[in-house]
Amino acid sequence: MTASTAPARPESEAAATSPWVERLRRVGRALALPAGSVVLAFLIGAVLIALAGGDPLASYEALACGGFGISCFGGETPALQISNTIEFITPLLMAGLAVGVAFRAGLFNIGVQGQLILGAIFATIVGLRLASLPGVILIPLLMLAGVVGGALWAGIVGVLKAFTGAHEVVTTIMLNYVAYNLLNYLLINGPMQAPNSSQISLPVGQNAQLPTLIPQEGLFFGQPGGAYHASIGIFIALAAAGVYAFLMRRTALGYEIRAVGQSQRAARYAGISVRRTIIVTMLISGAFAGLTGGLMIAGGSLHYLYADLKFDTTGFDAIAVSLLGQNVAIGVVLSAILFGALHAGGLVMQSDVQISSHIVEILQAVILFSLAANFLRSLKLRLPSLGREPAKPDGMEAAQAALQAEVGSTAAAEGDGRA
Amino acid sequence: MSRTRMRLVALATCLMLLLPVLAACGGTSSTSGGSSANTIKVGLVTDTGGLNDKGFNSLANQGLQKAKSELGIQADVTQSTKASDYVPNLTNFASRGYNLVIAVGFLMASAVGQVSQQYPNVKFALIDSTPADAKGNSVTRSNVTSLLFKEQEAGALVGILTGMLEKQGKTPKKSHIVGAVGGQKIPPVDHYIAGFQWGVAKEDPSAKVLVAYSDEFSDPTPCANKTDTQISQGADVVFQVAGGCGLGVLTEGGKKGIYTIGVDTDQSASDQSVIASAVKRVETATFDAIKSVKDGSFQSGTVLFDLKNDGVGFVKGNLPVPADIQTEIDSVTNQIKSGAVTVPDTVKP
Repeated sequence: MTASTAPARPESEAAATSPWVERLRRVGRALALPAGSVVLAFLIGAVLIALAGGDPLASYEALACGGFGISCFGGETPALQISNTIEFITPLLMAGLAVGVAFRAGLFNIGVQGQLILGAIFATIVGLRLASLPGVILIPLLMLAGVVGGALWAGIVGVLKAFTGAHEVVTTIMLNYVAYNLLNYLLINGPMQAPNSSQISLPVGQNAQLPTLIPQEGLFFGQPGGAYHASIGIFIALAAAGVYAFLMRRTALGYEIRAVGQSQRAARYAGISVRRTIIVTMLISGAFAGLTGGLMIAGGSLHYLYADLKFDTTGFDAIAVSLLGQNVAIGVVLSAILFGALHAGGLVMQSDVQISSHIVEILQAVILFSLAANFLRSLKLRLPSLGREPAKPDGMEAAQAALQAEVGSTAAAEGDGRA
Repeated sequence: MSRTRMRLVALATCLMLLLPVLAACGGTSSTSGGSSANTIKVGLVTDTGGLNDKGFNSLANQGLQKAKSELGIQADVTQSTKASDYVPNLTNFASRGYNLVIAVGFLMASAVGQVSQQYPNVKFALIDSTPADAKGNSVTRSNVTSLLFKEQEAGALVGILTGMLEKQGKTPKKSHIVGAVGGQKIPPVDHYIAGFQWGVAKEDPSAKVLVAYSDEFSDPTPCANKTDTQISQGADVVFQVAGGCGLGVLTEGGKKGIYTIGVDTDQSASDQSVIASAVKRVETATFDAIKSVKDGSFQSGTVLFDLKNDGVGFVKGNLPVPADIQTEIDSVTNQIKSGAVTVPDTVKP
């Protein structure tokens, strides 16, 4: 749809061809699907809450309180809620980038959970072994160890995919189980189990922990500083999002990743080494995932490795984060904020109005489902009166549609696998 | 589509996006703060097992709900979906001035250690563990009560039953070999097994007690496998000490026609093979902790629950207990209660 085909329009819209308006329109179009999915999820959630005998309004009030510190009526401290949300956003954002970079190359990395576990294991080992180093040296080393651990785990997948064609969905899921059992081995009567304890390692020391945004001593907003766990990890994650955007849009490697993602054959024809690109993409994806693990150990509220990390869903929630964010940096940041706030809000919702925080998982599932099914788009196609006539898909859109269809089917398969 | 229509759609989308926020802002709160100032507020935080774990979390909630109806407290529950929720959940209750925050399970030891230090005016009850400090060491805090159990006393009573059945030749294979399958080699599990060994040996010194650990508390398969191994070694009574994993012991034992013994709660409904259960009354401990806050008798440090205060016990299962065995169980119960005998709490190799 270009300006030349549009009918004559009033004076005020004469500037329609200006890049600003065009950009706004593109942003609007990009936002329509994710925003629609989110709205739909909230509507379905409201119905479910009502069916369960709850008050949707009060529930969403509590959700907003826990997520963003607004509309708090139960004596909560808004600043504390925001701090909690930041704490939950950080790993989701990092892991969302890990999934996103793989998506851009047409790879579906379901193994982020396993990769972040490896990252967390490596980071904990460095944090405990080199505990005497000062923080300025130890923390970067710990993060680097996380990156190495995650990249190593995902690199196996990349090499297998590049040289044997082994499907990454299969190999990443399998490696998740290897990671879970490695974690069990290390922490249950294993070499990393803390003495006189079970299922956990010793915590990393003070100098291996990320500085928190609010000092640990003294009172802030009526609460002890130690209760605020949000750390500078959020800035590390945001910086990683910046690196991601730069990599994808401004570097030759990013171009190669996108080219391989759209058509391996065309990429090969253009002289791009598909094998190399697949391996490098998985290494980067794993590095992001491993850094997530490092951030979970050095940031957050628990500074030790725990066996329950295998029941943690960050690596899987990240798939939804990346999908909702359409695999672009700003989108991943926004959807990580939404999902982090939903999780933090769900906890408050349960304590305040006794609506199970599992409702949040339903919201996330509906968002993912409607994105994968893309049924808002098909609704628009069926009911022309609702929207514009279907635009002729250009190459990018077709590739995205194909990717989303593939993602939808594999997501369903993954759901079966976990059930 | 015309530009105007597109704008309308965009506007509608924006409005819809804002809807939850508007709803959140506009509503008058009808749910919060209904309690008067002197109502005791109690918050319960589950571990990742959740409220429907048929174990500690659900038992603690039973105690909480009982306290709500009998003591007129305000009772709120938050389930943790991941380990990183522990600290935010505990803080959520503590920061809002709850009188008592209850944490379930040893996995929350470090989280309770952390939050209890930040909120010295809030009382905490930690089930099955003592709080841990930032270095992972066990500590005592003036505002934390650790609810611990003498599991060995319950284990001893099911051991007495097992030993007498073996001695009298009333077990399925009359093999004088019995087994115990633990979830992990951690103190609460070993307490049960140590008591079981003691009880069996007391009645049937010739009996052999096989001990195995599944390193698992939720998946039943490893426990079923361990049971199989013990059965092939001749065991005809197996005691499960592995929570949800141990349900595999009960069903596998039922399939192979041996007797099994349940743990923590009355598990006779789980399988026909369950002849008794060694129970740990987490609901009683939870209720008592809440009551102590209500009547001002809250005690920091460790509170032990044993046979004497009905914190642990023996519950009959699907096998009628012969009168002579019941007499013996009652007599040992009284001896333990009076302190005449002490049941060991370490597993013999």
